[in-house]
Amino acid sequence: MIYKLYEYRQLLKSNVRKEIRGKYKGSFLGVLWSFVNPLLMTLIYAIVFPFILKNSQEHYVTYLVIGILPWNFFTTVIAQGTTTILCNAGIIKKVYFPREILPISVATSGLINFIISFPIILIFLLVSGIGFSYYILFVPLIILTEYIFLLGIIFITSAIEVYIRDAEYIINFFINMLFYATPVLYSADLFPKKMSWIFKFNPMATIIESFRDVLFYKSMPPIKMLLIVLFMCIVLLLIGIKIFQKLERGFAEEV
Amino acid sequence: MKKNKDFAIKVCDVSKTFKLKYDRHSTLKEKIVFWKNNKTEFHTVLNNVNLEIKKGETIALIGTNGSGKSTLLKLMTKIIYPTSGKILTNGKLTSLLELGAGFHPDFTGRENIYFNASIFGLTAAEIDSRVEKIIEFSELREFIDSPVRTYSSGMYMRLAFSVAINVDAEILLIDEILAVGDQHFQDKCFSKLHELKNSNKTIVIVSHSLGAIKQLCDRAIWIYDGQVRMDDVCDKVVDEYLKVCG
Repeated sequence: MIYKLYEYRQLLKSNVRKEIRGKYKGSFLGVLWSFVNPLLMTLIYAIVFPFILKNSQEHYVTYLVIGILPWNFFTTVIAQGTTTILCNAGIIKKVYFPREILPISVATSGLINFIISFPIILIFLLVSGIGFSYYILFVPLIILTEYIFLLGIIFITSAIEVYIRDAEYIINFFINMLFYATPVLYSADLFPKKMSWIFKFNPMATIIESFRDVLFYKSMPPIKMLLIVLFMCIVLLLIGIKIFQKLERGFAEEV
Repeated sequence: MKKNKDFAIKVCDVSKTFKLKYDRHSTLKEKIVFWKNNKTEFHTVLNNVNLEIKKGETIALIGTNGSGKSTLLKLMTKIIYPTSGKILTNGKLTSLLELGAGFHPDFTGRENIYFNASIFGLTAAEIDSRVEKIIEFSELREFIDSPVRTYSSGMYMRLAFSVAINVDAEILLIDEILAVGDQHFQDKCFSKLHELKNSNKTIVIVSHSLGAIKQLCDRAIWIYDGQVRMDDVCDKVVDEYLKVCG
């Protein structure tokens, strides 16, 4: 499989480019939307949230941005990744190429988008006076963990979606639910002690907490937990590839 | 079957069965509600087909509609997989099942050349070295940097054919796409195919334009009802085919 992918590396490259550029083609702001979108989302939460809850978090907007960008990365990739096989039915039926290219390019274009919009976080850190620390060096590791996690998920969901079209809606529901089980808007400490086990089973919680630790609190991330999560994500990815390869033989007939 | 290394495609005992469903139950609700009375019927498109295509041969697959020619071609490209049996291919393979698969309407002709050629597995450097040839062949130089959605359907086809024909695969599978563009462009495609044939490429063509096939191919295979009915020199098979089906 690795060899096949290497042979088709150009397709991977141009498909990623197509995903990124094709998405905003025809709009005025173009790729700028990947900055504007998360900023607008942050703005909404920053306005609404302090009103509802008596919020005592210092630098709340910065705090928020650090949670929202990785979360955005997560949801866009899953939403696009799940339907990627169906959306590319045209080429799947007509041309042979390693089908793995499709989910990989969705995840990778999401990753590139995330990296492009990452300076937003840095600007917020700078402007709010929080500044940086050496712990920022952990950021690539955390991003990598999220990327592998996403790849594993969409390998499975994109393949299942071909056979069961409900998958998309079920997954949507789970993502909405997961949003509240992930410390995007608030810190994990605000959760009742009894409920905190949820975070242990939610890789996104560890990922976002780690981002906060190294960027916002300028401290060590929960490194042991992070490595466990990374390991689990790799296992998930391997299972995902197996499932994908099992199901891909029928793609051209089912889409 | 003889064991030699100079085959291009070997089809061994291949059968392909499609599931025919009257109502496709693709949502979960339907799958649960109708799981009992799922009227599934099986339709055997190919039944125990054996073929060996040698390197450098130019072969025509002929037969009436629904006889399984295109399915056989799709199996050879590994777009679909046989229900039983095995297909071996030897060498880089390109299939032109449909022209312009994967063209993005908002991208320019040039960008689409890159994208389309990369679907065929070419690297950036390989495409760079071919892009001039492709543009030249398509005769679309003036329009190559405008979005493909502004093209007429003839221009679209010409661009797509130019990409596919210049990929330089060792095995070329073509499904009924000889009717591209005007007479001038068709002649050009034809001479290109002749050129490929003379450079010892393996070509498999599905077509209904028997005249063209007679000119181009050495050998023809008549697929009838999912089985090989006749496999011989092109002229003989075409004449027999015309006698029976004409």
